[in-house]
Amino acid sequence: MREIAGYLPDIGKEKFETKILTFQGKDGAIEAEIPLLNEKQMDMVIAKVKKASNETLKSFSSAEIVQIIDEAIERLLDRRSPYRQKAEKLLPIVTGYNEEIVRLGLTSYLKTFRKHELQRFLVEDLGNPLLLDDFQPRVTGGYSKAVGPELITHIWAGNVPALPLWSLISGLLVKAGNIGKVASAEPFFAGWFAQVLVEIEPRLADCFAVVWWKGGDEEREFSLFSQSGVVVGYGGNQSLQFLQSRIPITTRFLPFGHKISFGILSESSLDSRKAWQSVHQAALDVIRYDQQGCYSPHLFYVQRGGKVSPREVARMMANELENYQKRFPRRPLSMEESASLSSWRQKEEMGIFDHPNKEVLGNSANDWTVVYEENNIHFTPSCLNRVVKVMPFENIEEILSLVAPHRHLLQTIGMAANPKELFDWAESLGKVGVTRITALGKMTSPEAGWHHDGRFNLLDLVNMVDIESAAEESSERFAPYVD
Amino acid sequence: MDQQQVIMENVLQFMQKDHLEEEDFNEQALRLYSYQYQFNLPYQAFCRQRGKTPRMVKAWRDIPAVPVNAFKEVALSCTDPEKAEAVFMTSGTTKGIRGKHYHPNLHIYDRSMILNFKQRFMGNIEKVRMGVLFPTEKEMPNSSLAHYLALAVKEFGKEGSGYLMNESGVDMDRLLDELNRAEETGEPYALIGASYSFVHVLEELERRGKTFSLPKGSRILDTGGFKNQSKELELNDFYDLLSSSLGVSRTECINMYGMTELSTQFYDDGNESIPAVKSGPHWIRTRVIHPLTGEEMPKGERGVLVHCDLGNFNSVTTILTEDIGIELESGFLLLGRVQGAEAKGCSITLAEFLKAAKEPLK
Amino acid sequence: MGKFKGKVVLVTGASRGIGASIARAFAEEEAFVIVNYLQNKEAAEKVAASCRELGGDGWAIQGDVTSESAVNGMMDQIILEAGKIDVVVNNAFKPYIFNPDERKMLWELKWNDYQEQIDGALRSAHYITQAVLPMMKKQTQGSIVNIISNLVERPIVPYHEYNTAKTALMGYSRNLAAELGPFGIRVNCVAPGLVYPTSASKYTKEEMKEMIIAQTPLRRIALPEDVAGPVLFLASDWSGFMTGQTLFVDGGFVM
Repeated sequence: MREIAGYLPDIGKEKFETKILTFQGKDGAIEAEIPLLNEKQMDMVIAKVKKASNETLKSFSSAEIVQIIDEAIERLLDRRSPYRQKAEKLLPIVTGYNEEIVRLGLTSYLKTFRKHELQRFLVEDLGNPLLLDDFQPRVTGGYSKAVGPELITHIWAGNVPALPLWSLISGLLVKAGNIGKVASAEPFFAGWFAQVLVEIEPRLADCFAVVWWKGGDEEREFSLFSQSGVVVGYGGNQSLQFLQSRIPITTRFLPFGHKISFGILSESSLDSRKAWQSVHQAALDVIRYDQQGCYSPHLFYVQRGGKVSPREVARMMANELENYQKRFPRRPLSMEESASLSSWRQKEEMGIFDHPNKEVLGNSANDWTVVYEENNIHFTPSCLNRVVKVMPFENIEEILSLVAPHRHLLQTIGMAANPKELFDWAESLGKVGVTRITALGKMTSPEAGWHHDGRFNLLDLVNMVDIESAAEESSERFAPYVD
Repeated sequence: MDQQQVIMENVLQFMQKDHLEEEDFNEQALRLYSYQYQFNLPYQAFCRQRGKTPRMVKAWRDIPAVPVNAFKEVALSCTDPEKAEAVFMTSGTTKGIRGKHYHPNLHIYDRSMILNFKQRFMGNIEKVRMGVLFPTEKEMPNSSLAHYLALAVKEFGKEGSGYLMNESGVDMDRLLDELNRAEETGEPYALIGASYSFVHVLEELERRGKTFSLPKGSRILDTGGFKNQSKELELNDFYDLLSSSLGVSRTECINMYGMTELSTQFYDDGNESIPAVKSGPHWIRTRVIHPLTGEEMPKGERGVLVHCDLGNFNSVTTILTEDIGIELESGFLLLGRVQGAEAKGCSITLAEFLKAAKEPLK
Repeated sequence: MGKFKGKVVLVTGASRGIGASIARAFAEEEAFVIVNYLQNKEAAEKVAASCRELGGDGWAIQGDVTSESAVNGMMDQIILEAGKIDVVVNNAFKPYIFNPDERKMLWELKWNDYQEQIDGALRSAHYITQAVLPMMKKQTQGSIVNIISNLVERPIVPYHEYNTAKTALMGYSRNLAAELGPFGIRVNCVAPGLVYPTSASKYTKEEMKEMIIAQTPLRRIALPEDVAGPVLFLASDWSGFMTGQTLFVDGGFVM
């Protein structure tokens, strides 16, 4: 079957090319047909979106925008709605993830964009959400208003379903026009969201576009970026570096690079009653999207001294992953991914000779792998797709010294620890670059208003416009009512 | 005789056989497996981890395959690696760690090469004048290819055979002399060497506007792919160019597929069509497996190649490659390297991490 | 391909009777069967040889399962030889004569009578389990099958010390099942009725057998081979979602 992807504003009766991306699922293939604009058409889209952003979007109050997004999200949460049904049907094929994983993931993700969550989002970043609507008095005198750019360009990446929503919704909240380039690994969701928005509020029709082009198209990217106020880019450091090289100094660039996350289990979480629960939650973080998210754990550090030892934790983790494999099977891997996974595991197995205390746990189908190592604990990424290492530690300093050299790559920690440990460890982990600490089992579902990679979602998009008190005072002199 | 000598004697006898029962290969493979399990301790640990002791392994297909990258991690040898007569190393990789293959002596390696080369490359001829497009053994003492090519010249090269290289690469003047000479005398000529060197030769010939028509019986052996050492040519274009520039038909252009981790090479019977079917002598067998389950793929389906080389008497017989291929009745098709899997999501990949870790923090 | 091809199975007390027939049944499914015995080396070697003939592999290994050090030594040997262990069948028990007429009455029993049976059934199972656990945990799978008796459910003859020990083994198994489930290890029991002929049942009177037959829906007495089927089932992935269970193999005598 073929499904139109992307979304375009009204640029008249233009004939444009489309690109077909094919996805082979186990129960059939899907073709995504997505607009591929030429430079002239792209310029028309840019102009249209900018105009609509200025004339339409900026005339809405933030409360109104929140209301519209809330309605859109409500439709996407409603399992009877056609868009939701389409998402549940197509996204497993497109991304390869298990249907249940996609369904559960969508719900837990989408519900973070409900009205009350969006309000929290606004307050979190701006303090006073009215800043987006009007000049607001400042405590120190004068007034300020937060003004979103005319145009934000989003370069989305990866196959984690619906990921583009973060930046697109942020863009809408600051009343910017938005042009998004979808990832070829998941080209649908952003376009569907755009369509739902327009169904709810037709006046938004020209305020955004969702398109695709082949990454690295230098001329096209330069032209678009120089017309954008902000470019939000997702991807590996190398591709972000390329993007950056095409972004003029006058355009703000917000890069979100690939990250590494991990888990820490304190001995206090490892008594004979709670240990399984901790491991169960940790395994859930591993199997959600097969560790493809930047918040997905690559490894777990497990403190010694609990009733259940780190080695036992590794073995329990193995069985949890086996059970999850039956419940939510891993997405089918390509021959390349399979080969790199098995060679990774076998290399680990070869290392047993030098480290007899090491254990490499896995089933014969290589559905998952757990490696337990205790002789030289270290910090390296896993080869993903349900492959984790478990390593013991005595005190947090050991972990800190391992991760500190990789400050710019760190993101989420899933932690099972008592309150004192939580705050003490957060303090020191924060110092070495970790930006998010959450419970095990929640690593892949950030809460609304989280600071992605430690940054502000909205504040980084806007410019503050200040009216200084001097201007206000001085204006009084010219008032018609001046006596 | 010590155990190594017995084992070597077994292998040499096996290589000489001209009639082979299925059970013979199995028996020889299992004998080597027991030997290697006993004396190659890292391999023993690996096999035990996989629950594959000699007691449990009943057929050569069950012998645990060692991934090629393991040759970078541990010394896989039944004898003291320090005492090896030859250590062949893989070419450098991103991390700079090279895989090492220890040979206590080269009797079997050489025997394997000679028997096989004679049959697959030399055809009916005893000797031929050869030009080598690769550095000498002296220049590259750890290169199995350098040794292989030197052996080819020594065993099968007529007087006048030699290396056509200088400090900057292919010595074009000498090459042109040789080619001219062959054309004039009508004496068959064999050019053997690295695939990328042939690419340089082809470029240079094109630049100079020269083509040759080498005498009947001339042949070409290329090996090793382009390895970023030259521009990547489509294989079809490569053999077209070779054929049109040197006047050697594509059926006489043989590609050798070898690995540092093996002691035996594979050949095709010319590259008239691409990809050409590769096969080896009776002491090496290839399986095409699914990398996750390790189970054999049905004939005709893509999988990863596993070679069981009975010439590898000292390291491990069975190697899991990073090459993708298809099994056919008469051999296998080599479809290329497994490329590093790309990131699907926004989680960092190992390659990216290593790269980032190498770069200084900004 | 045999259901247990590539699997390593340890059967304790396998030189004769039920144990031997379980060992052979595994071998028919191409398992590598480790035939543990206490005294009868010749018989055990015979069982091992027949395992090899049947298409599997067999290896007789002496070991007193009531001795912790003997069990550990045996397990080390097994790991060295086979590299792993997939299934354990705790079948060995302290010899016991099942003679309803001559059995000890309750008031005749000393604690030591109980102790002997408890050692035979429970202590041995415990040592074997402890020894095999590290390996099974590492494999994140494994199946332990403990042979008990249908007398645990219905003591038609109160063989006090025997029945009590076997009942303890059932309780032990259930607790193991609960603790080892999170490691992917399953523990189940098979509870045969009177099995004939075995060395333990050779003194059982015909009258007794007739009485049992009359009350057994399938109208006969179990043969050693009858026990093997349920054991293989519990050892295989066909019972992958069963643990802590007891299968009665007594022709329906107990329901």
